[in-house]
Amino acid sequence: MRSRNGNSSFIRRFFFIIILFYSLALNASEYLISYRYVVKNLSIYNETLLVSKAMKKCTGHEQQSLSLETNKETNLKKIISNNFEKFIYFIHKLGLHINHKDLTVNYEYSSTTILTLKTTCFKVHINDNLAIITPLK
Amino acid sequence: MKYSLLLIALLSTSSILSAFSLFGSDEPSSQSKDGMPEPILAPTPIRIANTPTMEPVTMPSIREPLLTQAQRIRVSVIGQGVAPMNTSSPAQAYALAKRAAIADGYRLIAEKVKGVRVEGQDLIKNMMTQKSTIRTSVNAMVRNSNLVETTFKDGLCEVEMEIVLSYVDFSL
Repeated sequence: MRSRNGNSSFIRRFFFIIILFYSLALNASEYLISYRYVVKNLSIYNETLLVSKAMKKCTGHEQQSLSLETNKETNLKKIISNNFEKFIYFIHKLGLHINHKDLTVNYEYSSTTILTLKTTCFKVHINDNLAIITPLK
Repeated sequence: MKYSLLLIALLSTSSILSAFSLFGSDEPSSQSKDGMPEPILAPTPIRIANTPTMEPVTMPSIREPLLTQAQRIRVSVIGQGVAPMNTSSPAQAYALAKRAAIADGYRLIAEKVKGVRVEGQDLIKNMMTQKSTIRTSVNAMVRNSNLVETTFKDGLCEVEMEIVLSYVDFSL
């Protein structure tokens, strides 16, 4: 037969694990992210990154995830802006649509290139130190 | 007087006949002996002496690499970009130039892998070119490209990018 102290420690540990999992599940949420940048005549013209919380449950398989340092930040927009280059590199890896147009009128050249990430759903899981961003496809 | 006129007429007819016999009968004879219309033949080309003869040239057969299950194709490009004029710091200029160079690299990869659509239009008036327009466009989706090297010199950023094409990417 087990002692009272032993039982209490086991129950405490069990509840702690349940609370931990609940807290993790509550922090996991889905975001819609789109990215677009325009390059005109080999010089960047406009860059837009749109982040918004998904209002509907996303469906799809999880792809390769990215971990970003949060520095005790819970807002995803701020986390991304703190690690902007890393996040943009990750988006490039996911795949971008390219729309390029050249126009040469009387031997004068001009070009426009538009790179776009279509609105994609990301599952975001924020811990104390890390934000794990996983695209769903 | 009468005899002289007759003589002149005879001489003129004889000279006309001789001219016809020299150049052949130029008058198209539309009807053959049977009374059927003869087919119109193309004029025979005039051969000029000492004309260089053109010999057919056989082009060497260039084989493009074919994507098979056994091998992979590596496509490598160098994209270029410049910083905008109104940058607040050299670091921002570098970052923006790099972003532009990456876009150019993506475009070059798409051009190599998928191809370019080219449209040209020339307006010619009174035997002079008034306006010449060339439009090219590329539409593609590129993923899993790698940034190999970045150089920034004299305001120009160059990025070397590559993509590895494998059979599996296209078979799914």
